[in-house]
Amino acid sequence: MKPAPFDYLAPTSLADAVEALGSYGADAKVLAGGQSLVPVMAMRMSRFDHLIDLNRIPELDFVRHEAADVVIGAMTRESRVGSDPTIAENVPLLTDATQYIGHFQIRNRGTLGGSLAHADPAAEYPAVAMALDATMHLVGPDGSRSVSPEEFFLGPMTCCAEDEELLHSVSFPVWGPGSGFSVQEFARRAGDFATAGVAVGIRVADGVVDKAAIAFFGMASAPVRARELEIELVGQKAMDLDFQEVGNQAVAHLQPPDDIHASSSLRRQIGAQLASRALSTAVKEAT
Amino acid sequence: MSEHILHLTVNGEAQHVLVEGRKTLADMLRDDLRLTGTHLGCEHGVCGACTVLVDGAAVRSCLMFAVQAHGSQVTTIEGIADADGGLSAVQSAFRECHGLQCGFCTPGFIVSIESFLDAHPDPSDEDIREGISGNLCRCTGYQGIIKAVRLAAETRAATPQDMSAPDDAVSDARVGA
Amino acid sequence: MTAVAGRYVGQSVKRREDARLVTGHGRFVEDVAWPGTLHVAFLRSPIARGRIVNLDVSAALAVPGVHSVLTAADLNEHAREWWQNMIGKDAPMPPKRLLAEHDVRFVGEAIAMVLATSRYVAEDGVELIDVDFEAETPVLVERAGFEGVAADDANLVHPEWGSNVAQALPGPMGPGMPLDNPALEAVLASAAHVVTETFTQHRYLCVPMESQGINVRWDRHRERLEIVSATQSPHEVRSCAARLIGINDSQVHVVADDVGGGFGQKMFPATEELAVIMAAYRLGAALRWIEDRNENLIAGGHARNEDLTMTVATDESGKILGVRAHHREDIGAFPAYAVGSSASSVGMYLPGPYGFGEYFFSSEAVFTNTCGRVAYRGPWMMESVAREQMMDVTALAIGMDPLEFRRRNVVTPDQLPFTTSTGLVYETVTPQATLEQAAEMVGYDAFRAEQAEARTHGRLLGIGLSSYIEPSVGFGIMGAEQVDLRIDYDGSVVATTGSGSHGQSVETTLSQVIAETLGVDIDKVVFTQGDTAVAPFGSGTGGSRTAAVYGGAAREASVLLRNKVLAIAAEVLEASSDDLDMDLGVVAVRGNPGATISLADVAAVAYAGYTILPESIEPGLDVSFRIRAPMFMFSNATHAAVVEVDPVTGAVKVLRYLVSEDCGNMINPMVVEGQIAGGVVQGIGGVFYENFVYDADGNPLTTTFLDYLLPTAAEVPTIEYGHIVTPSPTPGGFKPIGEGGAINSPAALINAVRDALTPFGARVVSQPLGPQQIVDLIKGPASSAESI
Ligand SMILES: Cc1cc2nc3c(=O)[nH]c(=O)nc-3n(C[C@H](O)[C@H](O)[C@H](O)COP(=O)(O)OP(=O)(O)OC[C@H]3O[C@@H](n4cnc5c(N)ncnc54)[C@H](O)[C@@H]3O)c2cc1C
Ligand code: FES
Ligand code: FES
Repeated sequence: MKPAPFDYLAPTSLADAVEALGSYGADAKVLAGGQSLVPVMAMRMSRFDHLIDLNRIPELDFVRHEAADVVIGAMTRESRVGSDPTIAENVPLLTDATQYIGHFQIRNRGTLGGSLAHADPAAEYPAVAMALDATMHLVGPDGSRSVSPEEFFLGPMTCCAEDEELLHSVSFPVWGPGSGFSVQEFARRAGDFATAGVAVGIRVADGVVDKAAIAFFGMASAPVRARELEIELVGQKAMDLDFQEVGNQAVAHLQPPDDIHASSSLRRQIGAQLASRALSTAVKEAT
Repeated sequence: MSEHILHLTVNGEAQHVLVEGRKTLADMLRDDLRLTGTHLGCEHGVCGACTVLVDGAAVRSCLMFAVQAHGSQVTTIEGIADADGGLSAVQSAFRECHGLQCGFCTPGFIVSIESFLDAHPDPSDEDIREGISGNLCRCTGYQGIIKAVRLAAETRAATPQDMSAPDDAVSDARVGA
Repeated sequence: MTAVAGRYVGQSVKRREDARLVTGHGRFVEDVAWPGTLHVAFLRSPIARGRIVNLDVSAALAVPGVHSVLTAADLNEHAREWWQNMIGKDAPMPPKRLLAEHDVRFVGEAIAMVLATSRYVAEDGVELIDVDFEAETPVLVERAGFEGVAADDANLVHPEWGSNVAQALPGPMGPGMPLDNPALEAVLASAAHVVTETFTQHRYLCVPMESQGINVRWDRHRERLEIVSATQSPHEVRSCAARLIGINDSQVHVVADDVGGGFGQKMFPATEELAVIMAAYRLGAALRWIEDRNENLIAGGHARNEDLTMTVATDESGKILGVRAHHREDIGAFPAYAVGSSASSVGMYLPGPYGFGEYFFSSEAVFTNTCGRVAYRGPWMMESVAREQMMDVTALAIGMDPLEFRRRNVVTPDQLPFTTSTGLVYETVTPQATLEQAAEMVGYDAFRAEQAEARTHGRLLGIGLSSYIEPSVGFGIMGAEQVDLRIDYDGSVVATTGSGSHGQSVETTLSQVIAETLGVDIDKVVFTQGDTAVAPFGSGTGGSRTAAVYGGAAREASVLLRNKVLAIAAEVLEASSDDLDMDLGVVAVRGNPGATISLADVAAVAYAGYTILPESIEPGLDVSFRIRAPMFMFSNATHAAVVEVDPVTGAVKVLRYLVSEDCGNMINPMVVEGQIAGGVVQGIGGVFYENFVYDADGNPLTTTFLDYLLPTAAEVPTIEYGHIVTPSPTPGGFKPIGEGGAINSPAALINAVRDALTPFGARVVSQPLGPQQIVDLIKGPASSAESI
C-alpha cells in the first residue's frame, strides 16, 4: 500500500499555488491535511502527476470575524476549528461538529477546506456549511468566485471546484442572540464517519421560531436540508413543538443510501431520532 | 517523480535526508533513519500505530509525506524516554498495568497518550476511552491501556512535567526539487 | 496439588518484554533490514474464479528498480513437499500452489511476484503487469447456498479434488466414527422435550496488528537458508521451508524476534511466504515481503464462517438426555492447513461442561471461491457458540430460566472424573463453581428485577451466560515440548525453548517458573525463544499450551537442574543434599547459616573443579527436559454479559462483562487476565462489529479498516474477573487459558442480546449483531434481512 510516483510541489503563496494549478490543471491535485487523500493514494485509487501541497501557505490558515460572518481559511486545521474561541462564540455549530470528526490525531492534520472539498456525504462540516448557508470562496487562474453549499456539493466526493480552482475560504453567517445549535450523529464506533447525522440551528424570538435550519449527513449523496419543514417551523411556538413528530417529518422525504452498515430505512429511523434530539437540544439552548 | 533534500529535527537531532516525494514520513523514519519503533498497522490512517509528534502535535505518519516534515521537529517513540533511558510516566504505566502484550500497537498508543495527557491532565474514564479510540490494539482488550492512562495521569500530576513547548514555527525553508 | 503463591509464581511480575517494547526497540519482522534485499509485491486476482488467458510482465520488467517478475511457471514446479509438522503428511491435502497457474480461485490469490528495490517500486511494477481473465461462475455460499455449493458438480473450486465437498463426517475421514447412534434416535423419539435450532456465525478474522511478513536469504556458499519471520512457530517455518525446496531442516535457520500478534494466522507459513522462500532460494537473493493491511484482510486467511444445527432432548425436569448436531463450514479455496476444517474438534468438544447423554455429530465442509480458512483463537469455538446459545434456546422452549437449566446439567464435583459423551475425561474442572461465581458476581437474580423495571421504561436490558471447557491438546508435536536449561560459568541461568511468543508474555512467565523452581533471582534468567539455531525442536506458541506444556517442561527441567546443583553443593559443603535449600542463587545448609555456596561457585566446580565430584555426578550444569503432556488438558470458565439494546439505532452497549475462570495455578495473574481480556474483546468485535463480506460475485467488500471494524477502547466495558484455582495434575498445576476469552464471549453476548429482545420474541441465532440485524430482529421475521 504505497502511493504511485508524483512530482511534489510546495508553493508558499496563494499566487504560486494558483499559478501551478493553472499550468497543470487536471494533472494536478492539491494536498490539504491528507487525511482523506493520502489513504486513497496509498491504495492507488487516485493518480495524478503533480501534488500541490497547500500546507506552506499561511494565507489560507485564518479565522476572521468580518461583519456578519466568520470567515475561515481552507487550510485551517480541524483541531483549530474545534478550539478557536471566535468560532465557538459565533459559529458554535462548527465547534460542536468538530468533536465527531475522527480522532484528535486526524483533526491535528485534517482541514476545514479539505473536508468540504472532499465532500464525503457522511462528513460533518459539509452539513454544517449547508445548514448555515455558508458561502464558499474559490480561486483560480481566472479569478475568484463565491458559491452556495447547494452549488458547491455536487454529489458523493464531488464538489464544484474546477481542476484549476481551489477552495480559499468559507464564510459562516453569525446567527446572533436567541439561537441554539446541535449536531447529533450515530456512528458504528467512536470516530467513525456517521451512519446518519444531523446539524440543526434554531433561532427563537419572543418564544417563536424565527429561523430554522436542518441539514442531514450520511442520509443522501450529499448533505441535504429539510427545507419544507424548516419553513413550517418558522412562526411556531418553540414550547409547543412535538420534537418526535418533527423528527419524523424531517426525514419523511429522504431516500438514504443502503450499505453493509445500514439499510435506507434504518438510516431514516435513526435520522428521525437524531433530528428530534438535535431540535430539542437546539431549542433548549435558544430559549 | 521528484526527489527532495529535507532538513528536520528528529528526537532532538538534526537530520538531512534525500527522499522521493511519495515516501511517507513513516517510511522515511523507518527506512532512512532506522527509527523502527514507529509501526505500520494499516497505512491508511485508521490504526494509529504510526503516530508521531510533528511540531508537538500527534499525527499519523503514514498520512504525511516525509517531505512535508521539512523544517519540523519530529518526536517518535524512541524520543519519549529521557536521554539516559528513564521511562516517561506513560511508558512506566504501560509496564505497570500490562498495557501491552505483543507491543506492536504500543508506540502509537504511547505517543498519542503523551499528547492526550498534555491536553487532558485529569481525564475522566470517558475522556480516556474517547482519547485512545484512534488507536487499535488487538491483544489487550484495552483494559490495561485504560488503567495505564489513569495511572500516568496521576503520576504526572504528582511530578510536574517540563512543559516547554516545542518550536512551532514551520520554517520557511523552501521545499522543492 | 494445592494452589501456590511463591516468590515469582502466582505473582503479577512485571513483564521482561516491556522495556524494549515501550521505548520502540522491539525487533519485528519489518524492522530487519539486510543489505541488498529486494522487496516483494504480489499481483493478485481481481476476480473470484476464472481462467488466466494472458499474462504479460514485460512492462513491469521495464520499470527501473524492478529486478524480476516471477510467475507460476518460474516457481510452482520446484515445490517438493508441502505439509506441516503439526498436521502431519498423511492428512488429506487439497490442491496447493505457490502462485496461481492457468486459473484463479479467489479474489486476492497471488498470480505474480514483483521483486524490486523498494516496495514502492514493486507496486509500480505490479500495476503494469498485463493480465486478462475469462471469468467463470464463482462457487459461493453467498450465491448458491451451502447445499447448492455442495451439490454443484459443474462448477468446481478445485477440479483436481472432484467435488466441492472438502470433508464430511462421519465418513471415511473420521476413522472409528460411528455412522449413526440408534440409542439417540430412541431418546429423541421418547423425550419429554425436543428442541432444534440452527446457529450461524459469520466470517471474521484474526487481524493481528502486525500483518504477516518474512525476510529470506539463501547463502549458496554455505548452503544455508536464513529466515526472519513473523511466526508463532519458528520450527514449523523451518520444516515447511526445508521440505518445500528439498533441503535439510538443519540447513534452515529461522528467527522470530518480536511478533505483533498472531491469533492463529501465523501458526503456519502463508502461501505467499512459501513463494518468497522458493524465490529467494532459486535466485540466491535476499527477499522480503511485508503483507499490507489490504492483503491481510482479503487473502491472509479467514475464520469462523460456519453453522451448527442442534437437537436437544430433555426430560420433564430439564435434564439433557441426548443431543444431535450437524455442522457446516465454508472453508474457502485454500485453507491454511489440510482441509482447514475444525469439525472433528467441534464434534469432540461440543458437550462442554454438561452431560449430553446420547450423542451424534455430523459435519460437512465445502470449498468456495473465497479466501481460505485459517486457525483463529479457538478454531473449534463453534461448539461453545452453538452449545451455549442452545442452552438458552432450550431453556426458553421448556419454560425455564437459562441459569436454572445450566444448573441442572452442569458437571458437578461429585461426578468427577467425568467422561463426556465423546469420551473425554475431566478430572479437575469446576464448571459448577464458575457458573455459580459468575451468577453471584453479576447479581443474576437482582438483575431480573432491574430488567423488568427497565422494560417498563422502554429500556431493553439483557443478560447472557456462557460456560465452556477450554481444551488444550497434548498429542503430536504439541504434546512434547522441551526446555533446555543451563547454568553458565558465572552462575547465570540460560533457558531455551521452541515457543514463539507473540504477545503471551512467555519470556516473563517461563522465567518465573524457572526462577521459582530453581531458586534463583528472576533477573539471572536469560530466556531465549524463537531461534531455531539454539532452541530445541518445538511446535511454537498456539493452542493454549504454553503454561501447561512449556510451563510443565520448564518446571521439570528446573527440578532436574536444581537437584544437580544441590548434589554438587552437597559435595562442597559436605552435607546431605536433602539438608540443602537454594534461594536467590545461594545454596545453604538448613539450620547452619554459615554454610553456603553461591551458584557461581557451584558452576565453577561443575565446569572446572569437577575432579572433587564423585564419578556419579557428571561435570557441567545443563539439562534438557522434553515433557510428555497428557492427551488433553482442560480449564473452564463462565462468562456473564449485561447489555443494553437501543431499539431505534440497533446499537448494543455492553454494560458489564465478567469472567469467572479456573485455569489452575496462575503463573502470573496479570497475564492471565490480559489473555482473557484480549479474547473477550475479540468476541465483542466478532459479534457486534467485525464482518468480512463478499458480494454475490465473490468480491470482498470490507477490504480496509474503514469497513472491517475492529472495536476500539470506546466500545468495550471494564472486564471483571473471578478466579477459582484448582490445580491440574500436570507439573506446576497449570491449565490452558489463552483462547478461552475468544471462545466463550460470543455466546454470552448473543445470549444477552436475545434476552434483551425477549419482548419481541426475536429469534436470535446468527451474527453479526450490528445495528441493521438488531432492528431487523426487533421488527420481526417479515422484514429480517437474510443472513449470509
Ligand atoms: C481514521 C479517519 C477517520 C475520519 N473520520 C472522519 C469523520 O468522522 N468525519 C469527517 O468529516 N471526516 C473524517 N475523516 C476525514 C478527515 O476529516 C479529513 O481530514 C477530511 O475529510 C479531508 O481533509 P484534509 O484536509 O485531510 O484533505 P485532504 O485529504 O488533503 O484532501 C481531500 C480532498 O480534497 C481536496 N482538497 C483539499 N483541500 C482543497 C482545497 N482547498 N481546494 C480544493 N480541493 C481541496 C484534495 O485534493 C482531495 O481531493 C477521517 C479520516 C480518517 C483517516
Ligand atoms: S499505519 Fe498509520 S494509522 Fe495505521
Ligand atoms: S499489544 Fe498487541 S496489538 Fe496492542
